[in-house]
Amino acid sequence: MAYADSPENAIAVIKQRTALMNRCLSQHKLMESLQHTSIMLTELRNPNLSPKKYYEVYVIIFDSLTNLSTYLIENHPQNHHLADLYELVQYTGNVVPRLYLMITVGTSYLTFSDAPKKEILKDMIEMCRGVQNPIRGLFLRYYLSQRTKELLPEDDLSFDSQFIMNNFIEMNKLWVRLQHQGPLRERETRTRERKELQILVGSQLVRLSQIIDDNFQMYKQDILPTILEQVIQCRDLVSQEYLLDIICQVFTDEFHLKTLDTLLQTTLHLNPDVSINKIVLTLVDRLNDFVTRQLEDDPNAVSSNAYLDMDVFGTFWDYLTVLNHERPDLSLQQYIPLIESVIVLSLRWYPNNFENLNKLFELVLQKTKDYGQKNISLESEHLFLVLLSFQNSKLQLTSTSTASPNSFATSKKHFIFQLISQCQAYKNILALQSIGLQKKVVNEIIDILMDTEAEESNDNEYESKLHPSGNSAHLVIEDKLQVQRLLSICEPLIISRSGPPTNVASSNTNIDEVFFNRHDEEESWILDPIQEKLAHLIHWIMNTTSRKQTKKNKSQFNLETQLEILLLIKSSFIKGGINVKYTFPAIITNFWKLIRKCHMIHQYILKERADNRTLLSHYSNLLKQMFKFVSRCINDIFNSCNNSCTDLVLKLNLQCATLADQLQLNEISYDFFSQAFTIFEESLSDSKTQLQALIYMAQSLQKTRSLYKETYYDSLIVRCTLHGSKLLKKQDQCRAVYLCSHLWWATEISNIGEEEGITDSFFRDGKRVLECLQRSLRVADSIMDNEQSCELMVEILNRCLYYFIHGDEAETHISIKYINGLIELIKTNLKSLKLEDNSTSTVTNSMNDLHITGDTNVKANATANDGPGNTEKDANVAIGSDGVYIQLNTLNGSSTLIHGIIATASGSKLLHQLKYTPIYHFQRTCDYIESQREVDDRFKVIYV
Amino acid sequence: MSIFFKPPIDIEILFDNEESRKHVDIAPRSSNSSYKSMKESLPVYEDGESLGGIVTMRVRDGKKVDHLGIKVSIIGSIDMIKSHGSSNSTSKKATSITSSSSSNGSVDIRKNSVDQFLCQSYDLCPAGELQHSQSFPFLFRDLSKRYESYKGRNVDVAYFVKVTVMRKSTDISKIKRFWVYLYNSVAAAPNTPSTHESQSNSEGVTADNDAADTANDDKPKNGAQGGAANGTQVLPVSHSSSDSKPVRLDIGIENCLHIEFEYAKSQYSLKEVIVGRIYFLLTRLRIKHMELSLITRESSGLQTSNVMTDSTAIRYEIMDGSSVKGETIPIRLFLSGYDLTPNMSCNYFNVKNYLSLVIIDEDGRRYFKQSEITLYRTR
Repeated sequence: MAYADSPENAIAVIKQRTALMNRCLSQHKLMESLQHTSIMLTELRNPNLSPKKYYEVYVIIFDSLTNLSTYLIENHPQNHHLADLYELVQYTGNVVPRLYLMITVGTSYLTFSDAPKKEILKDMIEMCRGVQNPIRGLFLRYYLSQRTKELLPEDDLSFDSQFIMNNFIEMNKLWVRLQHQGPLRERETRTRERKELQILVGSQLVRLSQIIDDNFQMYKQDILPTILEQVIQCRDLVSQEYLLDIICQVFTDEFHLKTLDTLLQTTLHLNPDVSINKIVLTLVDRLNDFVTRQLEDDPNAVSSNAYLDMDVFGTFWDYLTVLNHERPDLSLQQYIPLIESVIVLSLRWYPNNFENLNKLFELVLQKTKDYGQKNISLESEHLFLVLLSFQNSKLQLTSTSTASPNSFATSKKHFIFQLISQCQAYKNILALQSIGLQKKVVNEIIDILMDTEAEESNDNEYESKLHPSGNSAHLVIEDKLQVQRLLSICEPLIISRSGPPTNVASSNTNIDEVFFNRHDEEESWILDPIQEKLAHLIHWIMNTTSRKQTKKNKSQFNLETQLEILLLIKSSFIKGGINVKYTFPAIITNFWKLIRKCHMIHQYILKERADNRTLLSHYSNLLKQMFKFVSRCINDIFNSCNNSCTDLVLKLNLQCATLADQLQLNEISYDFFSQAFTIFEESLSDSKTQLQALIYMAQSLQKTRSLYKETYYDSLIVRCTLHGSKLLKKQDQCRAVYLCSHLWWATEISNIGEEEGITDSFFRDGKRVLECLQRSLRVADSIMDNEQSCELMVEILNRCLYYFIHGDEAETHISIKYINGLIELIKTNLKSLKLEDNSTSTVTNSMNDLHITGDTNVKANATANDGPGNTEKDANVAIGSDGVYIQLNTLNGSSTLIHGIIATASGSKLLHQLKYTPIYHFQRTCDYIESQREVDDRFKVIYV
Repeated sequence: MSIFFKPPIDIEILFDNEESRKHVDIAPRSSNSSYKSMKESLPVYEDGESLGGIVTMRVRDGKKVDHLGIKVSIIGSIDMIKSHGSSNSTSKKATSITSSSSSNGSVDIRKNSVDQFLCQSYDLCPAGELQHSQSFPFLFRDLSKRYESYKGRNVDVAYFVKVTVMRKSTDISKIKRFWVYLYNSVAAAPNTPSTHESQSNSEGVTADNDAADTANDDKPKNGAQGGAANGTQVLPVSHSSSDSKPVRLDIGIENCLHIEFEYAKSQYSLKEVIVGRIYFLLTRLRIKHMELSLITRESSGLQTSNVMTDSTAIRYEIMDGSSVKGETIPIRLFLSGYDLTPNMSCNYFNVKNYLSLVIIDEDGRRYFKQSEITLYRTR
């Protein structure tokens, strides 16, 4: 019999024949309707249908046959006997229609209790062998399975399961065979078609799982071995992967738990190309689900559960060992996900057992070594990244489950920390990776530690409101060892940038690295996110340790521990070479914290237990010791980055000095100051930085209180002023010197209880102040540039007025006469400045402009110490203390230096206006004097 | 001739209980256009059965008819298409005239009788005058029938009753055909008929045949039971294996195909089921499908000029698609639904049945293997 040429026609034929069949049935013309059915079924012989189309046709035919079946059942045995019909339909000449008819009639017969059920079933399944074409055979057997679904004998489970398994086995064979049909170049198509058909095969296993229900004995003894044997024997990639997956999915997890050995053993015998890890992962998922369900059923069952008696991990471990032994061909790409899935399992089942993890990582380590670390490809590098930084989605689930009240699951942060501190192998694996990868992983880890910290602190606030009792979620560093491990993990980051450039070229992978190294060569202070992160890490470590203290209330014992930890950190970060300039400031800051803490304890003991000499001396020694460490750190920075960060070193020295001074440790303070001076003298060569450094030094010095003894202070300030007067540029000299004048005029620091007028022990020497001012005036006067000179004079005038206000004339030696003389001098100079310009009208105009617009800006921009800040509103330009023009960007507050004013129209106009800055500044000062007259009578004698 | 002269007597032959007898429909096997495809229904008799009936003579228009005697005869003959000169045609001519009056298409005029293996006759009434319609009962007691009725392409085995009114002028005769089934169940080995053949045309043949029947007595019963069981039971019970040895064959094409097939037995009753299996040892062929067909081979004529004709009685697909090594394909073919011819043999012709396994590959090539089976009729 022929079949239609296209699927559309086929469907048309089927519909037509169905209609005819139904009509004949309604007229009880069974023979004719069977004839029509047979013709209709011929369409299923069509070899040109793709699996999808075939399925469409099949579905329609299935419906038609259901009609037929209904009729057959209703009219048995009045109009016909199904046993006769069963024979009758076997006269159909073609095997496919014949079998469909047989199954239809046979299953109809099965609905009657008097039918020889088993014989019919056996016969049908046996005869189905006649269809050996894969697609047609699969559908036929699927039809058999669909039809017999409800009709299998209920009393004989083993028969039913044998029946379904038999069907399954045959279907699987057909399915596998499909792969090998047709030309070789259509292999891909075949594979795709097979994937479309896989559900047909899988449905048999689903059926099996439905009928066996919870009959474990049967599952273990009959079903599973048979199925697995089939799976192994078919040696087909698609089939093995799919079927094992299905087996894992459809049968209950309890079964899997009990037959774990068998299942795992099976994977050893599979086609070498099968990705075992997928199967194992599915299995692990199922087992984890099991745990989850157990917990949901009974949250307290964790300890008492029977399933924990089983050594699930042990089983997996044995399996991995065997696998490693038997399948040395497995690549890392396959091996790593496999181990990863076992890790997932281990985490779910034994969340606190890090030994397991260590074992696993050791295995990875061994494996990696076997392959040779040089041979790690890009892909496996990615796998390592996922493995080592725990990006696996399954693990993510674990970490999110912290939100649940269940303390069973550890948070990711805790987990990683525990892992780092307990699994040596993890570190070793990490060490085997390429530098780029190591960096990525460590980055990832640090991110996790930090991120969850932030999250958690939010959580904790929230939580502590709800449960004031406890937040066990805090990550606590228990001892030095953990810190050590953590640091050793971070090592690649610490030393990451110090590698020689050749290294960079060879490790062709990491763009970041190249990028950063380029910056390195330029030795610029571009923000380095990695190093910044490390600095963050330092703070984080120290914070967690201090948190531990507050918790246990044993601060005096832990100061030493913290110190040790900090030293540990220091010793590991010193490996970073040039990177210390990023990280050491953080360490030094932490030293400062410790110093302060130590000081507090010291003070406390002094107050409460002054008799305990040993303790006191211990702490004072400790203090000194810590300062030494700091000094060491600063030296390290200085030594490791030649000249590139002398500025930083200077400032750190000065800060240390200030700190020491505040703690009344004058000698230490002096040492730091002298260090700073040494650096200034030996290493600071840039004149701009020199001025800045001097100003900074003067600031620090001016606030010191402990150095008055032993003339430390005196020598330091003299030295400072001397340096100031020896600066290269005259305006710098001038400014430095008049700023240094403050060093002889101590002012109140309210924090330590000083108050102007009450405290009388201020270090003040008006004579020297005047000397400084006079000296700077001389310098200002000697400057050739009139404009500059005027500007500086105005600044000096401002300084004079300051002293005039704050001290008696007798003390400061800044007399009215002196001020008036200065004003006169400025006026004269300004006149000559005006003479340079022809159009006086412009001057006045612009002066007026400046006058009007100036006020608001002065308030906004003028700084107390830095003196001459000038603004020009239209262009928002200010003159810096070193004489450069600074263009202010009012929007975001940042400023850019204008190195040279471009000769554009607007540029020249700007330049022109800037010329009158001194005039404006003088005007401003004069205004100030005039306004002061109202509150201070002394100003009335100053002539403006 | 009959057109010009209507025979003065109508002869009607009626068998006893003819209506209630089992009938068989005979389709004309030759595709001769003049006979259309009319089916003829004939009563069935078996070997040793008496055949009786009534002959009714009706005189036309009340005329008296003189006759030299009325004779009834029963004849069994083998008719063959004459492909080569066979001399005894004179007697045939007479029958051909009479047969035309029977107006039935059952007898192929192209076929000529080559052997009358059965011819019994006796007078119904002596010479005299038929004045009015008259009936004569007749009876052939315990008639032995050597061959089964057969209607083949080249050969027929025909049985009929012939009533002849002998006259001075042309005899008036009438024949009535009937069909014969021989339920001898176990067909004798192919050689045995030929041994009978040597003694053919002798009276002793029938006795001989009877003896053969009795000798194989237990076997036909067994076979009949098996057949009956198969008829009613849905599933064939394969206990009837004692009947004959299974047919096992191991065939193949070197490095291409190697199969082993097996039929449960080599002898089947017509009601039985052929059960078997095919085991694939090697397949490199891309098989499209596989069929089992039953071929009836009729060979006729004398040894020197044998004419063989094959006709496929059953064509039955047993496998769809290509099998692989290790697969077993079941065979089950119900025979009862088909009109089959049991094996027959005599010195003029024989009928043999073959099971042919045909493999058709995707390029349309056919590979087949035939193996002879014996079919026999059971009750």
